[in-house]
Amino acid sequence: MMRRSASKKAGQPNSTNSINFSPSDLFRTASSRASSKEMERIDNLFHSYANRSLGMIDPEGIETLCSDMEVDHTDVRILMLAWKMKAEKQGYFTLEEWRRGMKALRADTVSKLRKALPELEKEVKRPSKFEDFYSYSFCYCLTEEKQKSIDIESICQLLDLVLGSHFRAQVDYFIEYLKIQSDYKVINMDQWMGFFRFCNEISFPDFSNYNPDLAWPLILDNFVEWMQSKQT
Amino acid sequence: MGGSLYQRIEKECEEHISSALRSLVGQSPDLVVFLSLVEKCWQDLCDQMLMIRGIALYLDRTYVKQTPNVRSLWDMGLQLFRKHLSMAPEVEHKTVTGLLRMIEGERLGEAVDRTVLNHLLKMFTALGIYSESFEKPFLECTSEFYAAEGMKYMQQSDVPDYLKHVEMRLHEEHERCVLYLDALTRKPLIATAEKQLLERHIPAILDKGFVMLMDGRRIEDLQRMYSLFSRVNALESLRQAISSYIRRTGQVIVMDEEKDKDMVPSLLEFKASLDSIWEESFSKNEAFGNTIKDSFEHLINLRQNRPAELIAKFLDEKLRSGNKGTSEEELEGTLDKALVLFRFIQGKDVFEAFYKKDLAKRLLLGKSASIDAEKSMITKLKTECGSQFTNKLEGMFKDIELSKEINESFKQSSQARTKLPSGIEMSVHVLTTGYWPTYPPMDVRLPHELNVYQDIFKEFYLSKYSGRRLMWQNSLGHCVLKADFPKGKKELAVSLFQTVVLMLFNDAQKLSFQDIKDSTGIEDKELRRTLQSLACGKVRVLQKLPKGRDVEDNDSFIFNDGFTAPLYRIKVNAIQMKETVEENTSTTERVFQDRQYQVDAAIVRIMKTRKVLSHTLLITELFQQLKFPIKPADLKKRIESLIDREYLERDKNNPQIYNYLA
Repeated sequence: MMRRSASKKAGQPNSTNSINFSPSDLFRTASSRASSKEMERIDNLFHSYANRSLGMIDPEGIETLCSDMEVDHTDVRILMLAWKMKAEKQGYFTLEEWRRGMKALRADTVSKLRKALPELEKEVKRPSKFEDFYSYSFCYCLTEEKQKSIDIESICQLLDLVLGSHFRAQVDYFIEYLKIQSDYKVINMDQWMGFFRFCNEISFPDFSNYNPDLAWPLILDNFVEWMQSKQT
Repeated sequence: MGGSLYQRIEKECEEHISSALRSLVGQSPDLVVFLSLVEKCWQDLCDQMLMIRGIALYLDRTYVKQTPNVRSLWDMGLQLFRKHLSMAPEVEHKTVTGLLRMIEGERLGEAVDRTVLNHLLKMFTALGIYSESFEKPFLECTSEFYAAEGMKYMQQSDVPDYLKHVEMRLHEEHERCVLYLDALTRKPLIATAEKQLLERHIPAILDKGFVMLMDGRRIEDLQRMYSLFSRVNALESLRQAISSYIRRTGQVIVMDEEKDKDMVPSLLEFKASLDSIWEESFSKNEAFGNTIKDSFEHLINLRQNRPAELIAKFLDEKLRSGNKGTSEEELEGTLDKALVLFRFIQGKDVFEAFYKKDLAKRLLLGKSASIDAEKSMITKLKTECGSQFTNKLEGMFKDIELSKEINESFKQSSQARTKLPSGIEMSVHVLTTGYWPTYPPMDVRLPHELNVYQDIFKEFYLSKYSGRRLMWQNSLGHCVLKADFPKGKKELAVSLFQTVVLMLFNDAQKLSFQDIKDSTGIEDKELRRTLQSLACGKVRVLQKLPKGRDVEDNDSFIFNDGFTAPLYRIKVNAIQMKETVEENTSTTERVFQDRQYQVDAAIVRIMKTRKVLSHTLLITELFQQLKFPIKPADLKKRIESLIDREYLERDKNNPQIYNYLA
């Protein structure tokens, strides 16, 4: 508890310049020295992957990081990592984001980071976090300025990656439907979140509690209709 | 003294009556003879009792009146007769059977002695045993008789004959009550007959005969059916039959795409026939009237849009000149009838779009048969749908009238008098954008003289109405040209495009397709159509080389110096004026586009006032506000589009609720 509050204070710019040495200050300086050591290692690790001219880790850097961790770069855990860092731009980590993520995961080396991954996976699976992760994964894929929707092809991959392990059957059928339908070329956030609610709330595959008169996005009405016509 | 006299009379009477009735036992096996014996016996009793009463009048008036529990002499006679009749059940039974036989005989067409029937039934009534001894078996008999007859006749005869028969039977039974049955029997008797002859056969009658009667417009038979059915509370079945008849028949008219041309006249005829049946056969029954309306509305909206379009087309035909022979009143009547169909249309905007397009053509080409009729139609539409609906249509009329004035004052103006090229007369319609249908702009390079003319007009117009913008709609222009053919002078009524092409031949004998295209600047497809109309149509003022129906890139055209025609003034039909398929679909598309805007606007309007609203309530409000048919799915689409465009958002905590985003 103490340690935590101390390290928090250490983050303030003035504390390192303090000249009043009380015992507690001494302790504070020591811990802040430890944390700045940790910070240094985090930063060093960042720079070892960063693209110098951009000042960020770029897709190439991420690939190197992945191979160092022996994780495929398309692995869902990399997306989780990005979520933990609150990375804004797909394929890039800024120093700030990197620090945020690494500190939260208490990792300052590749092997620590790798070891932190199973814990991260557990965290994401908690219902309170998962919805945030699910909606983050959509935003993460918006790569262009003012882009609000994602093409069907990418959505299918993303669904499979993010939701596949939770709702296998729903995801598989929905992907099948998305690929054969011709009304929609892209999916927006509303539809994306709508499908998540759908998986959580609607009895599958009988849809007994589905009511198209409610505010479900139209694409789900169509999906259910398609499924029902398939079933009969 | 009175008491003993009374007792002695009673004893005498009893002996007499008892022997009289006993003498009937075992009498004639012939029921008719037997009945007349019974009648005689009864008649004698009546006479005798009257006589006794006459003689013993004083006894009847004093002793009988003063002593309780003593019957009058007459009643005593009846009571004794009843007592001894019940002691001779064979007589009573035979009498009843005889009566029933007689009545059945009469039903089967035999002549029977109604007086005997009348008397004997009066006897039953007088004895107080009418309902128990006679009426009950009589009704049972009747029921059996008509049950059998109903079955048989339903199989044997067609529905109109059957109904006639039923009507006749009911009448006969009614007569029977007047002639010899007790008045109280009428109700149950008629009810029994109705039940067996009608009620049981309602579905079969409708099934077997209704369509035939409707198709054949058998007013009288239908009227009979209506009044018979109303007796047995079967009007609801009849109403349903009407509904399904209209729907089925109407569907054939509406859904047959090959007969689109006749759809409106067929519907009008169908409606008229239904109306006359409703008036004459169904006594203008209100529920039936509503059913006819509902069914019509259903069937006319079976097909989206097309009926609305065809009604507009139909009106165009009627309002267009060349409809000579129809009087004002007749035209007015037709408009009214068409309006009835219009009333049923759910997508009135589709109608408006097509009506407007046709009206524009009539006004601009001066094709309207009667401006009065046009205006009366607008008034009708206004009454029907409100002024918002006819706003633009009325604006079109205003434009035309205003244009007339502008042309007048242009002719008087100094610009016109001093600068205009000679030999040309021009009349301009100034149309307000928004009132009129939208016309795609079409380029054309005008001959110099026409250009000059246009510019002078423009100058004049803008000097009068500064700040306005004039755009020339080349595709709507039409001209009359003087043509000097070697075989005679002619006047040609042509479109502006045709004019521009023809005027090239003032300076040339022969021009290639490319030459014409370069000089006129008319769009390729339009130019081909124009040339086709001039060189390949009925009136060939140009000749195409080589000959052929379609205009090819390498074709060339020469002035047709061998042109002859019987008339002086000739109209060269421009293909552009015929309705093209594209034009048609684009009108429909515009209507749909318009509807989307209307839905969007309605959603935003509602959300702006409500700020927060559930999906269900929003949909309900939309259905109340929107005046055209629309599916919930379409509404959802628009809501989602507005979410996408950030007019709305889905509430973070309750996905069933939308928030308005200011």
